[in-house]
Amino acid sequence: MLPRADEELVRPLLAQVSRFALESIDARAIDRASAIPQRVLAGMGELGLFGLTLPEEFGGSGCSLPVACSAVAELARADRSVAVTLGLHLGLGTRGLVALGTRAQHERYLPTLASGNCIAAFATTEPGAGSDLSALQTRALDDGTALVVNGQKIYVTNGGLAGLYTLAVSTPGLGGSARGQSLLLIERGDAGLRVEAEEHKLGLRGSSTTGLSLEEMRLPYSRVLGEAGGGARALGMILSWGRTLMSAGCCGAARVALEKTVAHVAERRQFGKPLAALEVVREQMARLTARAFAMEALVDEVSRESAETLLVRSLAAKVFSSESAWMVVDGAIQLHGGLGFIEDTGLAMMLRDVRITRIFEGANDVLLSHLGAGELLRATARTPLASSLVEGALASAAKDADALAAQVDSLRQSLHARFRVGVFRQPRWLHRLGRACMWREAIDASVRRAIRSGRTDEIAQVALLTQEARVEVAALASEPSARELVEQCLAQALPLPEVRA
Amino acid sequence: MRADPTATVDSRVVYIISQLVPVKPEQILAEHRLREDLGMDSVSSMELLSMLAEELDLDVGVEDIADVHTVGATIALAKTFLAKKGA
Ligand SMILES: Cc1cc2nc3c(=O)[nH]c(=O)nc-3n(C[C@H](O)[C@H](O)[C@H](O)COP(=O)(O)OP(=O)(O)OC[C@H]3O[C@@H](n4cnc5c(N)ncnc54)[C@H](O)[C@@H]3O)c2cc1C
Repeated sequence: MLPRADEELVRPLLAQVSRFALESIDARAIDRASAIPQRVLAGMGELGLFGLTLPEEFGGSGCSLPVACSAVAELARADRSVAVTLGLHLGLGTRGLVALGTRAQHERYLPTLASGNCIAAFATTEPGAGSDLSALQTRALDDGTALVVNGQKIYVTNGGLAGLYTLAVSTPGLGGSARGQSLLLIERGDAGLRVEAEEHKLGLRGSSTTGLSLEEMRLPYSRVLGEAGGGARALGMILSWGRTLMSAGCCGAARVALEKTVAHVAERRQFGKPLAALEVVREQMARLTARAFAMEALVDEVSRESAETLLVRSLAAKVFSSESAWMVVDGAIQLHGGLGFIEDTGLAMMLRDVRITRIFEGANDVLLSHLGAGELLRATARTPLASSLVEGALASAAKDADALAAQVDSLRQSLHARFRVGVFRQPRWLHRLGRACMWREAIDASVRRAIRSGRTDEIAQVALLTQEARVEVAALASEPSARELVEQCLAQALPLPEVRA
Repeated sequence: MRADPTATVDSRVVYIISQLVPVKPEQILAEHRLREDLGMDSVSSMELLSMLAEELDLDVGVEDIADVHTVGATIALAKTFLAKKGA
């Protein structure tokens, strides 16, 4: 549950956001124009959305991550581009500044960021450094009087709108770190910064995405954000916020797709009855409903974690919610039939919009391996869910969740026994363990939410999803397709390339 | 390419590290931090410890590596486990 103060704040806020979205946001027009109208951004500023998580002292509302997640989810129901613009600003764009900034940096930037007069962006990705963030080539070198920055960033969300960019760059020698990275604050007007043209994208077309070129840019030392040379560590904290806000957007999109589908299958008649009366359709709807429930339960729970646990659990939330959003929107299109494929219905755009969520803020397959590695290093034991419950459907769902967790634990133990520390050089197994963990986290959060609500439909949704999870985790734990078989399959099409040592 | 099995533990560890990061062995120092000084991330530093256990045939568990953040600590870990193996 949200803390009381947040709970009291969130309801009227969501009502305001929802009214604003209804009156001011035209998702089709934004998609067609590939831009969010200035009046929409101004309206969001007037509502205080850009200052939601920024300190009150500087004009923000000082709200917690769950409140920001609720607002982003609400906006995503109306338009994903608008939600991403805000989510990026509140997450990757300003989280580092709020948490690590100096008093002078706060005073300089936070007031205009809180009002929305300045929008924030965040840039790590480069042409040669995507999933591998240790490969950053953009450098800031200390010439004794200033930092001289050269390099290129790509795919920067809010790139064309932003007034402030947080950049992750390589800073050899800075802060005593021979090969360290640091975060730098770059202002739109800084000499040496060029904002490249807008990218044309599959979806999220209204969200600005540009490259940045940095040429002989001279920055005062006061532009280093946080510890010089300590950027890699700070990145983890910032990315965990960003991922969670992005996951909240997935929840909003999935929920609205599901609502549309509920209405459609109830109304549309075939074979002399509503689609909703067909057994196969009913099962599909139950699975989509269970997914939407589980993603909301997981994201909501994860958003309330301490910074340390957020680091790992946000990985599970990101992967599960992005996969589920894709599945739910795809399922919604299927159940709409041909109508789902028609742009006017709104689902086609939604499918295009959510596709990127499995790639940005860390490609899912990369994050799953991190999740698997994190599970191996995990020090705290999970508390069983069933012990506190009496008999009944809820106790049975909790027992199933405990059984799932035991499956995951047994996979972890068997990998450790088999490979010892060498397990970290078993990417396929780390990935599989990561998927298993993702399921455990999703199911555990869902059971806890069902325990709180006591609703029989939610308990049933958890039970249905747990069945699916247990089957998948059992398959994951079985010997993966042998490496030799994989190589034989690819012998003609994709022989294993030589890898430089 | 494997580390020379006749070399000292220190130089074998340094050699393995040099396989993972673009830093020459002679520039790698015991006090270097794996992340900040050698540019490793959490995944590559785990990989390093994995490779080390494999190269030196050591029975290192995941629980043994929690505090290994520098080249010196990596060498110390290798020495401790080599001694255990010899005992
Ligand atoms: C619309 C949009 C907005 C974006 N916004 C931002 C932003 O604001 N700031 C920013 O810094 N970046 C941003 N990005 C970049 C985004 O985060 C990267 O695209 C993403 O991290 C993946 O990097 P890459 O594209 O280089 O893919 P690559 O690293 O080249 O990977 C390609 C694919 O290979 C596979 N793969 C790679 N490594 C592994 C592995 N170790 N294990 C298994 N599979 C693997 C995955 O399937 C992956 O999707 C944005 C991108 C887009 C398209």
